[in-house]
Amino acid sequence: MRRAVGPLLAVTVAMVLADSAVVTLALPDILRHLDTTVAQVAWVLISFNLVLGLVAVPAALLFHRGQPRILTAAGIAVFAAASAWCAVAPTIEVLIAARCVQALGGALALVGCLELLVGLYGERRAIATWVTAGVIGTAAGPVVGGLLTQAISWQSIFVVQVPVAVLAVPAALTVRAVLVPASDRHRPAIRPNLTLALLSAALTAALFLLVLLLVDGWQHSPAAAALTVSVVPVAAVAARPLARLLPGPREVEVATGCFLVAGGLVGLALLPSAALGWTVAPQALVGLGLGLTVDRLTAQALHLRFPRVEHAGWTISARHLGVVVGLAILTPVFTGDLQDAQVPAQEAITSLVLDAPLPADDKVALAQALGGELADQQGQVPDLHHAFVAADFAPGSRAAAAQLERDLDVQLESAATRAFRDSFLVGAGLALLALLAVVVPGGRRRS
Amino acid sequence: MNARLRAAGLPALALVLVGGVLSVQVAYGGGEFEPLRPSDPCAARTVTSQSEGIDALTERLVLIGLDNAACQLGVSREALTLELAQGGTRTDAEIDALRSGLLAAVDQMDEEGSLPPASELADEALDNAGLNRFLEALVRAIPDSVIDAALKTDDVLTRAIDELDLRALLANLDDQGDLNRQLEAAITQAVKDSLVARLRGLV
Repeated sequence: MRRAVGPLLAVTVAMVLADSAVVTLALPDILRHLDTTVAQVAWVLISFNLVLGLVAVPAALLFHRGQPRILTAAGIAVFAAASAWCAVAPTIEVLIAARCVQALGGALALVGCLELLVGLYGERRAIATWVTAGVIGTAAGPVVGGLLTQAISWQSIFVVQVPVAVLAVPAALTVRAVLVPASDRHRPAIRPNLTLALLSAALTAALFLLVLLLVDGWQHSPAAAALTVSVVPVAAVAARPLARLLPGPREVEVATGCFLVAGGLVGLALLPSAALGWTVAPQALVGLGLGLTVDRLTAQALHLRFPRVEHAGWTISARHLGVVVGLAILTPVFTGDLQDAQVPAQEAITSLVLDAPLPADDKVALAQALGGELADQQGQVPDLHHAFVAADFAPGSRAAAAQLERDLDVQLESAATRAFRDSFLVGAGLALLALLAVVVPGGRRRS
Repeated sequence: MNARLRAAGLPALALVLVGGVLSVQVAYGGGEFEPLRPSDPCAARTVTSQSEGIDALTERLVLIGLDNAACQLGVSREALTLELAQGGTRTDAEIDALRSGLLAAVDQMDEEGSLPPASELADEALDNAGLNRFLEALVRAIPDSVIDAALKTDDVLTRAIDELDLRALLANLDDQGDLNRQLEAAITQAVKDSLVARLRGLV
C-alpha cells in the first residue's frame, strides 16, 4: 500500500486537472441528454475552472489551520462524491452545481497532494511529480473524455473518477506532511503565474476550439476527435527529451515554448483542408510548447517559496482563471464568426446546386430537401446527407449527386474552418503575450 | 560563446519547425480554405442544362434570368435565390428585376441561337396539355414547318413572361402543382396571343 500512495496522489492530481477540460468532447452529448442550451452547457466547463481558480488560494490557507492529510483526504472525498453527483445529474443546473462542488474538493485535493508528496518524496521530486501529473492531466483530459463518451456515455467520465478517488482517500491519510514554520513566507511569484495564466488561455484555444472544430465543424465522432487531439499530450511528453538535447536557460526554454504554442495556433488557423492529417503538425507544435512551458513555469512559481501550499494555490488559480479568461475572450469570437459563416456557406451551397450537372427536376427536389435540412439545423453545422437521401435521384444522376454531396460537404467544412480562424489567431496572440511576459526585462534580471 | 550557441539551439529549432509547418500549409492553400465566393452576376456565364425539351429551356431561361435580375439589383445570384426561396412578400423592385431579367434572357438566347423552334417543343407540350384525343391528333398532324411559321419561340416566351403573375408564382414556390398550373396557363395564353397576332399580321 505504501508504494502505491505516491502514484495514487499523482493520479489524483492528474485527474483533478484533467477535469478542467475532460467534458469538452462530451458537451454535445450533455446538451442533447439534458435538453439544454449551448450557453448553459458551456458553464459545465466554465464553472469548474472558475471555482477552482477562485478557491485555490483560500483552500491553501486552510492548510495552516488543519492537518494536511485530513484536509487532503476530505478534498478528495468531496471531489469523488461530487463526481458521482455529476454522473447522476438530472438537469443542467444540478450538473453545474455538482461541478462547482467538484472544483471545491479538487482545490483542496490539489494543494494537499503537493504537501503530501513532499512528505513522501522530498521537495524537489515532489514538485516534479506534482507538476508532471498536472501537465499530463491537462493535456490528456479531452482525449480521455472523448474516448469514454464515445465508448460508454458522458456520465462515465465522472463515474471512473470515483474508484480512483476512493482509493486515494485512505492513501492520503497515511502520509505525514512536513510542517513548514508559519514565519517562513514568500511573496507569490507574479511573472511565472502571469505567464501561466496567459498560456492557459492560449491552450484553451488549442484544445477546446480544436475539439469543437473536429466534432461540430467537421462532424467527426468524439472518439475520432479524441484520437486526433492525442497528438498534443504525446508531443508534450516528447518536449522534455528535446529540451535535454538542446539545453539552455529556463527563460529561453519557456519563451521557445510560448513561441511554439503561438506557431501551432497560427497553423490551426491556416489549415489547407478539413483532412485530419493537417491538424497533426500544428498540434505537435502546441504539444511541444505545452511540454516546455507549463511544468517549467509551475516549478518556477513554487521553487523555494513557502508556504508551499499557498504558492501551489496561486499557481492553480493562475492556470484555471487563465482558462476562464480564454473561454471568455474566445467564446464570443467563435460563436459570432460561426453565425457569420452561415450566409457564405448557404450561398456556396446554392451556387453549387444551381450549377450542378443534374436534371432540373432533381435540382428542384434537392433544393427543397436542402432548404428543410438547413432550416431544421439552425445554429449548428448541418448534415446534408438526409437531403440527398430524401431527393431519391434517378440511377443516371446518382454519380453527379454523390459528387455534389461531396462538394457541399467541403463547402460546409471550409465555412466552419474559416469561422474558427479568428479564434485560433486570438489564441496565438495570447501565447505571444505570454512570450512577452517572459522576455520583458524584469524577467531576465531574476535569472 | 559555446554556451550561447547551445542556448540558441532550441529557439532556432522552434523557428525552423514553426516556419516549416506554416510554409507547407500556406503552400497547400492554408488561409484560402474558404467557402466558394459567389461570382459576379453581371459577368457572362455559360449556362447549360442536363434536362431536355421544355425543362431544359425553362432551366436555362430561369438561370440566365436570375443572373440578369441579380445584376440589376446589385446582389449575387445566390443571395437573390436564397431571398426568393424564403417566400413572403416580394418588393416591386425584385418583381421588375426578375421580369426584365427573364425577358433579357429570351433576347440573349435568341441572339445566340439557342432557342429551339416551336415545333421541337410541340409534342412535349401536347403530351402535357390534356387535350381531347381527336384535337391532339389533329394538332400533331400539322407539319413542323407550319408550326414554326405560325409560332416563334421568342415571341411565345416573351408573351408568357409578360403574362405571368410573378408575385403569385414566387409566393408559392413549394407547391409544384400550383406552379405548373400557373406556367401552363401563361404559356397557353401566350400561344393563343401569338397565333392571333400572326393571323392579324397576315390579314
